Amino acid sequence: MKNLVKSRFFKYTLAALFLLVIILIVFISIKIPADELTLQQSDEMVAVRISQHKSTDTPASSSGVIKEAKEMPVYGHWRNFTTKDGLPSDKAYTVRIDGDRVLVGTHDGLAVFENGKWSTYTTRDGLAHNGVVSIDVSELTGDVWIGTLGGLNRWSAGKFEMFNQFNSGLPNDLVYCVYCDGKDIWVATGGGAGHYDTFTREWEIFTEMNAPMHEPWTYGVSTGDGKVFIAAWGGGVIEYDNKTRRFRDYVDPDGFMEIDLQPDDGIIHDITTATSYADSILWVSTYFGMSRYDGKNWKGYFKEDSGLASNFINFLRAEGRIAFVCCDNGLSSTDGTTWVTYIKDDNSENGKAIITNGTNKKEIPLSPSISHNFIIGVDAEDDMLWVATSKGVSRGELLR
Amino acid sequence: MKIQDHEYISSEYPRYYPGTRIIAFNPDRPAIVIVITEGFYSACFPDISYDGSHMLFTAQQKTGDPWQIWEMDLHNLRSRKIISSAENCTDPAYLPGGRLVFSKMTMNDTVRTAQCLYTCNLEGTDLRQITFSPQSYFAVKVLKDGRLLSISSQFMPDRGGRMLTVLRPDGTKTDMFYKSYEGNLLISKPRETNDGRLVFIESYGENLAGGDLIAISYNRPLHTRFNLTSEIREDLNCVLPLSPDRYLVSCRNPNSEKFALYEFDPLKKAIGRLVFSDPDHNILDVVAVEENNRPKKLPSEVDMGVKTGLLLCQDINFPNSRGTGNYSKVRMARKIEVLGVDTTYGVVDVENDGSFYLKIMADTPFRIRTLDEKDNIVSGPCSWLWLRPNERRGCIGCHEDPELVPENRFSLAVSKPPVIIPVHITGVKEKIVELE
Amino acid sequence: MRKYLKIIIPVGVLLVLAAVFYPPYHRWAREHVNYLTATNDHPLKCTSCHLHLQKSGIISKLVNAHYYSPFNLAVSRNGKYLYTVAEEANALLIIDAERGKVTHKINVGVRPYSVVLGKDGKTAYVSNQWSDNVSVIDLTTYMVTTTLNTGSGPAGLALSADGQYLYVVNSYSSDISVIDLSAGTERKRLTAGNNPTGIQANPEGSLLFVTSRRTLSRPFGDTLKCELTIINESRQRIVARKDIRSAYMMENIAFTPGGDLAIIPLVRPKNNVPTIQVERGWMMTHGIAVIEQEPPGRTVQFLLDEPNAYYADPFDIAVTPDGKKAFVSHAGVDCISVIDIEAIRAILAESSEEMLYTYSHHLGISSRFIIKRIPTGSNPKGMILSPDGKKLFVAEHLQDRIGIISTETLEAIGTIDLGGPRRTTANRLGRRLLNNASGTFQNQYSCYTCHPDAHEDGLVYNMASKDMGRNMTNTQSLRNIGDTPPFKWNGKNQTVYKQDGMRFSTVLTRNEPFSYKELDALTSYIMTGIPNPPNLLYNPDGDLTEAQKLGKIIFERTHDNKGYEIPVVNRCVTCHPAPYFTNLQPANVGTLAASDDSILFDTPHLNNIFASPPYLHDGRATTLEEIWTLYGTTEQHGSVNDLTKIQLNDLVEYLKSLRDPLYEQKKTSLNKASFKYY
Repeated sequence: MKNLVKSRFFKYTLAALFLLVIILIVFISIKIPADELTLQQSDEMVAVRISQHKSTDTPASSSGVIKEAKEMPVYGHWRNFTTKDGLPSDKAYTVRIDGDRVLVGTHDGLAVFENGKWSTYTTRDGLAHNGVVSIDVSELTGDVWIGTLGGLNRWSAGKFEMFNQFNSGLPNDLVYCVYCDGKDIWVATGGGAGHYDTFTREWEIFTEMNAPMHEPWTYGVSTGDGKVFIAAWGGGVIEYDNKTRRFRDYVDPDGFMEIDLQPDDGIIHDITTATSYADSILWVSTYFGMSRYDGKNWKGYFKEDSGLASNFINFLRAEGRIAFVCCDNGLSSTDGTTWVTYIKDDNSENGKAIITNGTNKKEIPLSPSISHNFIIGVDAEDDMLWVATSKGVSRGELLR
Repeated sequence: MKIQDHEYISSEYPRYYPGTRIIAFNPDRPAIVIVITEGFYSACFPDISYDGSHMLFTAQQKTGDPWQIWEMDLHNLRSRKIISSAENCTDPAYLPGGRLVFSKMTMNDTVRTAQCLYTCNLEGTDLRQITFSPQSYFAVKVLKDGRLLSISSQFMPDRGGRMLTVLRPDGTKTDMFYKSYEGNLLISKPRETNDGRLVFIESYGENLAGGDLIAISYNRPLHTRFNLTSEIREDLNCVLPLSPDRYLVSCRNPNSEKFALYEFDPLKKAIGRLVFSDPDHNILDVVAVEENNRPKKLPSEVDMGVKTGLLLCQDINFPNSRGTGNYSKVRMARKIEVLGVDTTYGVVDVENDGSFYLKIMADTPFRIRTLDEKDNIVSGPCSWLWLRPNERRGCIGCHEDPELVPENRFSLAVSKPPVIIPVHITGVKEKIVELE
Repeated sequence: MRKYLKIIIPVGVLLVLAAVFYPPYHRWAREHVNYLTATNDHPLKCTSCHLHLQKSGIISKLVNAHYYSPFNLAVSRNGKYLYTVAEEANALLIIDAERGKVTHKINVGVRPYSVVLGKDGKTAYVSNQWSDNVSVIDLTTYMVTTTLNTGSGPAGLALSADGQYLYVVNSYSSDISVIDLSAGTERKRLTAGNNPTGIQANPEGSLLFVTSRRTLSRPFGDTLKCELTIINESRQRIVARKDIRSAYMMENIAFTPGGDLAIIPLVRPKNNVPTIQVERGWMMTHGIAVIEQEPPGRTVQFLLDEPNAYYADPFDIAVTPDGKKAFVSHAGVDCISVIDIEAIRAILAESSEEMLYTYSHHLGISSRFIIKRIPTGSNPKGMILSPDGKKLFVAEHLQDRIGIISTETLEAIGTIDLGGPRRTTANRLGRRLLNNASGTFQNQYSCYTCHPDAHEDGLVYNMASKDMGRNMTNTQSLRNIGDTPPFKWNGKNQTVYKQDGMRFSTVLTRNEPFSYKELDALTSYIMTGIPNPPNLLYNPDGDLTEAQKLGKIIFERTHDNKGYEIPVVNRCVTCHPAPYFTNLQPANVGTLAASDDSILFDTPHLNNIFASPPYLHDGRATTLEEIWTLYGTTEQHGSVNDLTKIQLNDLVEYLKSLRDPLYEQKKTSLNKASFKYY
């Protein structure tokens, strides 16, 4: 034994092992720096730096994982509006920012916030129905398209033009979603999806008769990159290619299973409520979680494994790389990795913003918070975030 | 051609002068005068046919005879009687389509005693009465647009001033065309110029002998009165426009006894040269024997198989209700009463928008006054109206400005059947005329 | 003697034959003519119908002529040249204004409507209403260099202040094409009113005003509203839609030079009032809207008519450079009204709201601002002032010439003959009659007034009849109706003669009926001279879209969705067979209203049906869909209750594709509008 220890071979081997350990320690140290979130205690300045700790929640780039950290906007200085401030109803279904004004669809009409004041338009002014559930603005013409529970309106320079299932090719008067795509208008209705060409004034109707839907009930529609994405109740997402004029569908491979048997194998659930397309990413909300699709791979999100406020999602809207998700228990926003979720406390006007990345979580108290946790609509532009809830409308400013 | 009267008699109806005669002369050779109504005791009111070949006139064959309508062939000066009547028939005028219009003294319960207008064929057949109110109509002119323009004078219930009334040759759409100022009197037949005006003589007070030459625009007769002879002393009693700058007028200056025929320059408003005079006669009227453009031959909506006419009024509270926006401050009428000559035909509620729609017995004069909910009179009654069989007539409101057109709105009253007037009549059996 | 017998005997035989056959022939001819003309004394002139009612063939070519029909005008900056679109000749005529001669004729698209000159004066743009494009003409080479695709029915044109964009008013698709002239493509399209035609920038160039001809869709009895659309030029967005009440047929607009007033000629119809009389303006009145551009920003209407004279169909307006006078062309009475604008301003300044409202109904108000009425040739349409404002050039549309009026003396001082045919054909005379109001009492309205462009005005009229408040009827188109008798909504007039004859004068025009010569001419024009525009919007080349094909199958189906046979009487094709899509029979489609006299209605033809809302005899259906969704539930108007929404949509798409049989024969290669947008 003494001879072994004294032998040159043993010494060299020992030295090599020691060197290897040192190298290993150094390597590990560089690869995974300290998981530090530099947060300040005040809510004035928040810049969230995402740790580079590998997380199973991080979507890969080639395999769905974002490699680099980016900043997530956080909104505060919330101001809430209710009927006391001039809203026609506290039940707000949708919100859309249109330049210097904000359009809110409520239970009792279209509310417009401009120059610090609210004004209301109802059926007396030509609105198809006072239940306004969707709004979009044509970038080309500035016309406002309004989906209501009793038809569709085009509102232009103060005048309402009405389309309903009796006087036009509108598939059904329950217009859950309206979307402007250049000269084309897409609607998701209780009787199918519809396409209206504003130049030729022609309607096309898509139902289970001529599209891969299970039934004609459609809840949401959006477009991007020459394609149309229809959120079909019980039918997943129906994609329509404008060029080829062909359909295909994306359905949950798990079929009727309520659980996600095989994660990320497809759209998370077939009861879809909204779609939104931005930055080449399709976002899909369902009553059982959210999905993200980059054209090749699906990624599913649940409350349980992400910062999502709730699996029951009413609506979502993607602005650039960020999706704003309207849940029945708070508003979430995400870039696919990091989440910022806004929740109001029960029994108080206060709440918090919860920033989640993997297992890391941080809360920022907000006072006041959003007006209610049942979120139905959202829109963001520049530094403003507007949220439609079942108890009023909230406006947040980007915190710098 | 002109009428001369032997004696100038001022009377109730100063236009019918016994002893008048019609002479013809060439203005270039005024010395040669032909009395073309030789054989008649009196003859006046000539009207020349559109082809210039015939002349209508009214005449008495002998003294005491009623005035009757005659037509003369101007080629051979032979006359034939068109109308034989026990009453005076005067003021004939040719209508397009082989008919004529004239004024006839009529006595019945409808009009009491009045000079009514009638039309008939040139043979005197197919006689049709076309005015039905207790008003006298005379001095008829057939306008280029085909309507009749007549001096009308109300005598029931009160004597009213004279006005120019326009109506269609079937007696429909009677309307005020021009009204003299208070105290003025229309005394001559109106005549149309070629530059869109109508000219006539208006006297002042009770001077029926002569007056001033008045011009009104056909386009806007109620508000374009222009006195062409206010600066001259002469009295005029008739006018014949020959061209926009040359008229013939019968006038008399204060120093002379008789009316003579002169030229008149309407642009300079000056009497010109003497054309014709007769020391023994007054010139009462003058017509030119020449071809004229025939007036339009207007169609008739009258159907004698129908016993009623229809009347729609948009708003009896017009113009009080328009634009005030405050109905409570204005005493609003809620009903109308339709009045006959000496009776009432009934009271009718109007609709919420003030409209009413009546089916009225045709050829019956009536007036309308408005009442409030307590049957107090708010306004009226209006002027006499009548509807011809199958006539449809509309008005805007009571005492409307006659230059206003209706608002483009659907009156509530026409969404229901019309109310029959007199109200005690529950149904009318008559021919139903549909739009074909 | 034998020689004479050879003549006498044949002649004798002929005479005997004539004596035998002539009376029955004459009787037959008399009955034949009486039936066709609904009279009993129309001259027995075979040529009345048989010469002038030929739509095609050698006779038609011989009796008809090709006129220019100048429509709108532009003038060069130096005033030396006039540019007029020749509507019927499909050309732009360039006229030396000083010499009064046409120097160039440049062929453009079909039915040119407007011309504007580029900022540099070297380019002209001509809108081709029946080609759905704009011709771009190089005025140095007098060649069409390119065509710009537009929406449907391009009419009015305006250039942006910087000359970079061309705004094209699409009269059939009711929108505005914003064309980037450097790219030659359509940048965007803005909806504008209903059947818009006129466009004018305010003097600042910041706003564009677009006028519409037809009213917005309203139920019968509602106040009519016609839209004035205002576009922010820099943002290229609609910023306002003003409703001009109780008015329509706003064909053009002009501004005072200071920009304080915009003036629009218009028509104020009385369609809600029973058609019981013409006197006192109970059918139509004509006037102007004056819109203040500065506070209080009122919109006031004045009548141009007078109590016993109406000035039908005001079309264009031109304001002198000094802002003192405005000229309005009255296409229906062949005259120009001269308006004192200062007088208008005075009325605006001194009048209360109530008084101003009254003036829109007052026939006496025009006496306060009308300076003069200047007679013109037939059917004056577009006008343009010389750059110095001293001359007004008027396109005498049906006279084939340009009238010249001195704006100082207010007299006509000359005309420019365009060199069209010298003779006036029966067809041409008929067209003049249709466009002239002299056929109605006091010139109150012409056929054009209710049938603009010989089409229909989209209004429902209370036609009265045995009672007032009855027979609400939808104006029908006159386009290519020659082969589809009977006429009138209830089909009671077998011929156009009867339609426009004695009864027409008794109940509508209330004026002396047309003479037989006039009636012959009018009938000739209506029967042969009014083509339908091509249906470039929905069926440019005969190739149906997929939806249209499916719709055609539904239209022609014999069995319903369940496979049950549809009764023959209830199939679409039974009553609406091609090529005119009418079987010429009366029908009951379950739409009889309590206020209707008729029980059966004439089956209308369906060619270009997309262009004539509202639908059904009383216009109750504002869109084609409503014919069945709201008014077809009793299955009396076709078997439709089993249709899905998609099938109904396809059927509607097919109906919108129906076009005039003329285009089915020609299969012309008219270009469908294609566009790029940002």
